[in-house]
Amino acid sequence: MRISMAKALKWSSLLVVTGLAIQLLCLVYIHPLSFITFLSVGCPLVGAGVVLYLFGLLSQGSSNK
Amino acid sequence: MATWIVVIISGLAIVLALFSGLRSQLTQSNEGKAMAFVGLLVLPAISVWFGFEEQMTRAESTKFCLSCHVMNDYGKSLLVDDPSYIPAHHYQNNLVPRDHACYTCHTDYAMFGTALAKMRGMRHVLVQYFGTVPKPEDIKLYEAYNNRECLHCHLGGRKFEEEPKHAKLPNMMADIKANHLSCTSSKCHDTIHDVGSLKDATFWKGNLQ
Repeated sequence: MRISMAKALKWSSLLVVTGLAIQLLCLVYIHPLSFITFLSVGCPLVGAGVVLYLFGLLSQGSSNK
Repeated sequence: MATWIVVIISGLAIVLALFSGLRSQLTQSNEGKAMAFVGLLVLPAISVWFGFEEQMTRAESTKFCLSCHVMNDYGKSLLVDDPSYIPAHHYQNNLVPRDHACYTCHTDYAMFGTALAKMRGMRHVLVQYFGTVPKPEDIKLYEAYNNRECLHCHLGGRKFEEEPKHAKLPNMMADIKANHLSCTSSKCHDTIHDVGSLKDATFWKGNLQ
């Protein structure tokens, strides 16, 4: 499966920004729910964004060969 | 990790990630590629790591532990005006750091103690929102309180080592140190939080941190 770099950047950016925004929100309150939201929502979103970006890079690299 | 560092790095990552996503044509140039690499990989990774450290530190704070309603009475018990209440005596006299009071006594000072405490904490949150929350006085420790947690601070201390009551019986000190004779359930230091008796207690005027 291949994905265009522009599309990968767009979706990756969306995921990373959403994940980081959630991380910032979780810093507002000192509460177990903040901790859990950070771990179960913020981190996976940022992780998915980073993986998608890397996937886009790989796709671009293989299509340039 | 200071919160402001996490905020600055996350903010910077958000700006660069937005630029990379909304102006993807910029990433045709080498500078643009570097920007996307930093904004979508390097800074988010650093930000999440620092954020994780910050959340772990906060999870050890007294405020964090007492933020659930069921823990209110345990917080109150730290302010009881009676030195026989062991947690209150420790809290009010700065024998434990007030802002990390719960964690100081309730983490296992053993390998993976912190990780185990966090796993248990996760379970407590699940019970809080999806289970049946017990009455504060019905909450029990998972296992008997280990003297190791007391000895983490008291071992080697003159007051502890030279206390005549700790040598009342032959081998008593050795038994205490080996956890064969419990500090908290041997009729010596057995008034712990005792939340069931708080309605009759008087309280110190200090604040919870």
